[in-house]
Amino acid sequence: MTLWRARRMAGSIGIYVGYVVVAVVFLFPLLWVVSLSLRPMDELFAFPPRLVPQHPTLAAYREVLTGSPLVVYLLNSVKLVTATVICSLTIAIPSAYALSRLRFRNATLKSLVMLCMLSVQLVSPLVTALPLYRWFSLLDLINSPAAVVAVYVALSAPFATWMLTGFLDTVPVALDEAARIDGCSRLQSVIRVLLPVMLPGLASTAILLAISTWGQFIIPFVLLTRGNLYPVSVGILDFQSSTDAVSTHLLAAAAILSALPAMLAFLVLQRFIIGALTAGAVKG
Amino acid sequence: MRSNRRPIEDRPLLWLAPLFLLLGVLYLYPMLDVVRLSFTDAGDAGAPVHTTLASYRAVFGSPEFGGMVRVTAIFVTASIIGQLVFGMLIAVLVCEGERRRLPGAAVVRAIVLVGWVLPGVVIGIIWKLLLDESGSGILAYVASMLGVREPAFLSAPVPALVWVTVANIWRGTAFSMILQYAGMKTVPPELYEAATVDGAGALQRFRHVTLPSLRGILLVNLVLITIATLNTFDMVLPLTGGGPGRATEVVALYVYHLVFSEFQLGRGAAVAVMLMAVGLALSACYARIMPREPAA
Repeated sequence: MTLWRARRMAGSIGIYVGYVVVAVVFLFPLLWVVSLSLRPMDELFAFPPRLVPQHPTLAAYREVLTGSPLVVYLLNSVKLVTATVICSLTIAIPSAYALSRLRFRNATLKSLVMLCMLSVQLVSPLVTALPLYRWFSLLDLINSPAAVVAVYVALSAPFATWMLTGFLDTVPVALDEAARIDGCSRLQSVIRVLLPVMLPGLASTAILLAISTWGQFIIPFVLLTRGNLYPVSVGILDFQSSTDAVSTHLLAAAAILSALPAMLAFLVLQRFIIGALTAGAVKG
Repeated sequence: MRSNRRPIEDRPLLWLAPLFLLLGVLYLYPMLDVVRLSFTDAGDAGAPVHTTLASYRAVFGSPEFGGMVRVTAIFVTASIIGQLVFGMLIAVLVCEGERRRLPGAAVVRAIVLVGWVLPGVVIGIIWKLLLDESGSGILAYVASMLGVREPAFLSAPVPALVWVTVANIWRGTAFSMILQYAGMKTVPPELYEAATVDGAGALQRFRHVTLPSLRGILLVNLVLITIATLNTFDMVLPLTGGGPGRATEVVALYVYHLVFSEFQLGRGAAVAVMLMAVGLALSACYARIMPREPAA
């Protein structure tokens, strides 16, 4: 019995060693950039390097937020993400309703629709960006945030539909049928009965969409050419090319600031997100 | 008259119309248009266009194409292996920790996932800062401790490709981990208990219980990370920009350069069509795998 306990103990220690390695590998790069961002310029090249700066300062953040276009980029991202999430959900809700509640005359048609939505997500946005760039140039839609949002929505609506269909499938049909018997049209039953029940599903879908849209790069990179319209994903690249070795702390601060919203959204709602991801993974 | 038997609000297509319209205009039609463009000599927008096979011929004939395929193949293969292996290791660690009710398993799971929610460009910048060769980079310091003077991380072709791949594995491991973790959660605990009773050690349990149960998930995982890695673009740009020379110019960067630096839309479209064909072929595999997967 003691042998068994000793082996189990050794196993647990082994697991913890693994945890420490994993935590270091995945956290250290981030911590190092945080450390760079908190240094005064003369500590950038300190030798030997220290993870905790001797004289930590928020000066880099202040400088980046007041003396660079980063705030504009961040605000642009917030606007693009908000519009994209709202429009995607608006389109995904009726689609999910159809896939979850309505009878398709042809059953293969339904699986074809689901499959189509999936394969659309597996094609790189770069492929579609080429003709879109051409059309939008001809239509004078380059540098139009609305056009960028439209493409974002096309990228995220299939995923949102997929997620929401899964959530709707878990809501008992009896609920909306009762509403229909009471005289609601289908649309009314969606708005008055299903939407309130679906709130958790809508929220986690919205967060996943927001995180992925926040990081979306190719579409704005190709379709926007004016710096004052850039979202932060593209803007930070511009920022990088305007910095050099002695302004590394500024680049580090900018990188942290542009990742912060996505990271916060994730940390606050990680249980939600992991639940949604694992459910999606197992169901497909 | 027959259609009147079914009220209009019962028709799925009506509810799906906005989605279809959007995908048709901004996804399917562009995909078809890329195929059309690939058979043209299109350059700048607005210039007249002729139908021709010249773009494909020019692409296959160019010396850069072979190099790009090689770079992409190395990058994708190494990334897939790294992500599958490390994803599996971490998933096992987390699952085993949860089984033993060790505190900290959930924290580790969350830490790994943070890397996954970061925007790709930021990941590129983070690794660029780690690998800085001018004095503020931490890995240069580590290398100097190990006796390597003036290490070349991103300034020499082979190390650059290695580090771009490492950064991509760092980024993608979380996704593999969460898929495999989800798969392991569906394995009935009785199977493990039975194996333990039969005298199986940890390794044998993994080999004879975990791995076979994960076959489906692993295939799905393989398809998804292959596609994600093939499409990698945003992370490489701040890290190396495809350089030095063209040492890290993966397929997406190659397409971008052809179209937006060399203004060879036709050739860029030809490569994009090949990329799309691989993506669609892989999603066809995915579709074939999925139905066999037992519902959770």
